[in-house]
Amino acid sequence: MQLINMLTWWQWAILAMAPPAIVLLYFLKLKRRPVEVPSTYLWRRSIEDLHVNTIWQRLRRNMLLFLQILILLLAMLAALRPGWRGVALSGDRFIFLIDNSASMRATDVEPSRLEEAKRQARLLIDQMDSGDVAMVVSFADTAKIEQMFTDSRRKLRAAVDAIRATDRPTSLVEALKVASGLANPGRTADDVYDVQVAEPLPATLLIFSDGRFADVSGFALGNLDAVYKPIGNPESVNLGITTFAVRRNEARPQQLQAFAQVRSFDRQPAEVSLELRLDGELINADRFELAAEESRGVSFDLGTPDSGVLQLTAVTGDDLAVDDVAWAVVNPPRRARVLLVTPGVEPLEYALSTSAALELADVSVETPAFLEQPAYRQPAATGVYDLVIYDRCRPKEMPQANTLFIGALPPAGDWKAEPQVVAPQIIDTDSAHPLMQWLDLGNVLIAEGTPLAGPLGGVTLIDSNIGPLFVVAPRDRYEDAALGFVFIAEGGGEGKEPGGYIGTNWPIRASFPLFALNVLEYLGGGRTSGAGEAIRPGQPVALDSPLPGKEVSVQTPAGETVRVRADSSGKANFSGTVQLGVYNVRIDGKVARHFAVNLFQASESDIRPVSGLRIGYVDIPAQTSQEAARRELWRILLVAGLAVLCVEWYTYNRRVAW
Amino acid sequence: MSTASTLLSPELLARLERLELVSRKIFRGRMKGERRSRRKGQSVEFADFRSYVHGDDLRFLDWNTYARLDRLFLKMFLEEEDLHFYALIDASKSMDFGEPTKLAYAKQLAAALGFVGLVRGDRVKIETLGPGGGDPPPVLRGRRSLWRMLEYLENVQPGGEAPLAQAVKSFCVRNSGKGIVVLISDLMDKSGYEAALRYLLAQEMDIYVIHLLSVAEIEPQLQGDLRLVDCEDGDVAEISVSGPLLKRYRETLAAFIHSARDFCTRRGIVYLAARNDLPVEQLITGYLNQRGLLR
Repeated sequence: MQLINMLTWWQWAILAMAPPAIVLLYFLKLKRRPVEVPSTYLWRRSIEDLHVNTIWQRLRRNMLLFLQILILLLAMLAALRPGWRGVALSGDRFIFLIDNSASMRATDVEPSRLEEAKRQARLLIDQMDSGDVAMVVSFADTAKIEQMFTDSRRKLRAAVDAIRATDRPTSLVEALKVASGLANPGRTADDVYDVQVAEPLPATLLIFSDGRFADVSGFALGNLDAVYKPIGNPESVNLGITTFAVRRNEARPQQLQAFAQVRSFDRQPAEVSLELRLDGELINADRFELAAEESRGVSFDLGTPDSGVLQLTAVTGDDLAVDDVAWAVVNPPRRARVLLVTPGVEPLEYALSTSAALELADVSVETPAFLEQPAYRQPAATGVYDLVIYDRCRPKEMPQANTLFIGALPPAGDWKAEPQVVAPQIIDTDSAHPLMQWLDLGNVLIAEGTPLAGPLGGVTLIDSNIGPLFVVAPRDRYEDAALGFVFIAEGGGEGKEPGGYIGTNWPIRASFPLFALNVLEYLGGGRTSGAGEAIRPGQPVALDSPLPGKEVSVQTPAGETVRVRADSSGKANFSGTVQLGVYNVRIDGKVARHFAVNLFQASESDIRPVSGLRIGYVDIPAQTSQEAARRELWRILLVAGLAVLCVEWYTYNRRVAW
Repeated sequence: MSTASTLLSPELLARLERLELVSRKIFRGRMKGERRSRRKGQSVEFADFRSYVHGDDLRFLDWNTYARLDRLFLKMFLEEEDLHFYALIDASKSMDFGEPTKLAYAKQLAAALGFVGLVRGDRVKIETLGPGGGDPPPVLRGRRSLWRMLEYLENVQPGGEAPLAQAVKSFCVRNSGKGIVVLISDLMDKSGYEAALRYLLAQEMDIYVIHLLSVAEIEPQLQGDLRLVDCEDGDVAEISVSGPLLKRYRETLAAFIHSARDFCTRRGIVYLAARNDLPVEQLITGYLNQRGLLR
């Protein structure tokens, strides 16, 4: 509160004499007008009754005195021009865009950036003149209208108070679209005339954010007058985990490895200590110095855990806590669903029914006629199978699954086969490939082989003197493998007995069951599905369900349970990934798998507020200092004085009873 | 007729001629009048029989009955007599207020009632209560006395302070005859009106009190800080007119009227509140007729 003296000393002296003068006047005897009446008889009795209330009578008279002195005091106070430094708010339509993304959780301003943004917004709402309207929008990667245009400051304040922090990344585009709806109404594009649909209502756009989002291109502000209010301390420091994932060790595929990337957004070198927990137990830790603005990758060997939840914590003491923790999950291996379509191949069927193979996969065997039936076509097209093995047959269309073709070529893709050659010699195998590891094919003889040529990206796994005999090639997100010879051939060739004959002696070699296991593990995906993928907040997740239409329940990190029904393809889409952390997926009450939602967004971890925004082709500088304006009180004081004067006049004239 | 027209208009006179004064009590008139008394006496109109008791006038014995029944009965006749009518006008200074003044109103009223009495051959006496004194009021009888009555009323002037009780007492001493008394006053006597009415009651008269108030008294149009001066005794009351004070005044006035009416009703006095903006004709032909003073 500041005062500005508007009067000189002698003016004050005159003003100061007024209150004693008023009091003095009250001491003077009231001069009464004499009136002759027939009789004072009744009047006397009336006054006698009133004498009981003398105090009130006196008070009433004093009330006038008080009121008159009050008027004078108000006038004197107004002459001092009391006021305070306030914030000017110009315009009559406002849109408050308040960023509630993850970076707004930073605590570099007390108590947090979001609270600071809300405080500043509330201050401006208080400055609104009557008749001004405003709208409140909160935005992260999506925008939410908290309050439509209203002139009720109470509603606006309540809407601002209701904004809660989220863990989402930031994008301004949607918020701008929401905000510009009324300011820049659409235009009709009739043949010649370009007609405005509605009257544009210009508004002032107040963006409370740290500005850590991509520049908005392809958006014209039009009638919006944008003001950027940066929230946050430019000196704020933060270290964030920008990547954390579990991978199969390249050298030893059965081993799992955790990779993490830690990035510094600090101008000073900082020390980081990382703690890795598996299901809450500390299993590894690391400590290193991170130079300014540097990022470093760290890897941890995990051994061969079947399942578990990994939590990586960076102990940093920085301003933003949400990016100091990351989660990854190792899900239990799932038995692969494998379909073997064959006219009859006993050795392979045996190899696929060993106890080790049954642990990995659930194999069903059908004849080639099955390929024509709907019982095959629908599951194949909807990805129910993980692996389909076609022995001497081929489908019309490739299934949504990994495939292994034995003595046949995949119908799609750029597969080619040379004419058949008798007794090819195996020259080399790619033992580094998971399908071929630990296999010794030196003692394998092949009766007849067909040299193969796979599509682009194909890898030769068995090479022979006549060309590749075993090739694996990618197809979309699946892999197709084709074997250029058969285990059992059917029908007689030249000089051969009718019925089946042996195509190779591989089935009686020790390497054959291992090959079968490699196929189930690699193509069946028994192991590879162990590590969960990284999911960003707000990103939908497709959950596998054992049966189409079955209900899957998801437990969020906060402990809430959400039920999702799987669609006809057996996928249940869960979109409630708003919180960071580990989500448990339960099927029939048992935890089937986990998935982790992580921030992993460098733009959110970099919490230093930007100095300006760019929207379309307009640069909006940060408006750090508020437009200072002196808020005057003297008008209110004078109006109050006038009101008191009215009360005084009314009291005197109407003889109001008190 | 000039004097008559100020107090009594010809139309009113015409209407009054058809009326007569009624008394609820039996009074002994001084002279035989036109009025048929409820008292039994000498007239041609038979009323009743009663048994002879010792000392009765033998002239009224019904000899025919005695002959038939061998018992003595006395024949009784309705007495015709005159009525004493007194109108008491409060002529204190407080009556000299209002538009028309209360005194003028009182005079008019008294003149009207007196005229009714005169027309019916009653004995009419109009007295002013006040220190004025002056000529003793004339006793009037007969239509011819109308001019004397009006002349007397014309000369009545508002006097100074007049304790009501004192004036009524003096009236009672001077007039012992029974009859109808109509007291026209504002009853605003600081020593109280009750004593005055008690004197009249003691005379066993048929008493009518016409409580006359001016509009200015009922709804005072006063504003500001005032010093009220009593016109009779010079008493001063300082008031600041305010809503509550006016409300209280009205309450006090209502209580005053109510207590007067209550006092009268308990004692068989007919009380009538009148205000000076009510035409005299209406009061006479309406209210007094209802109350039984006139017929």
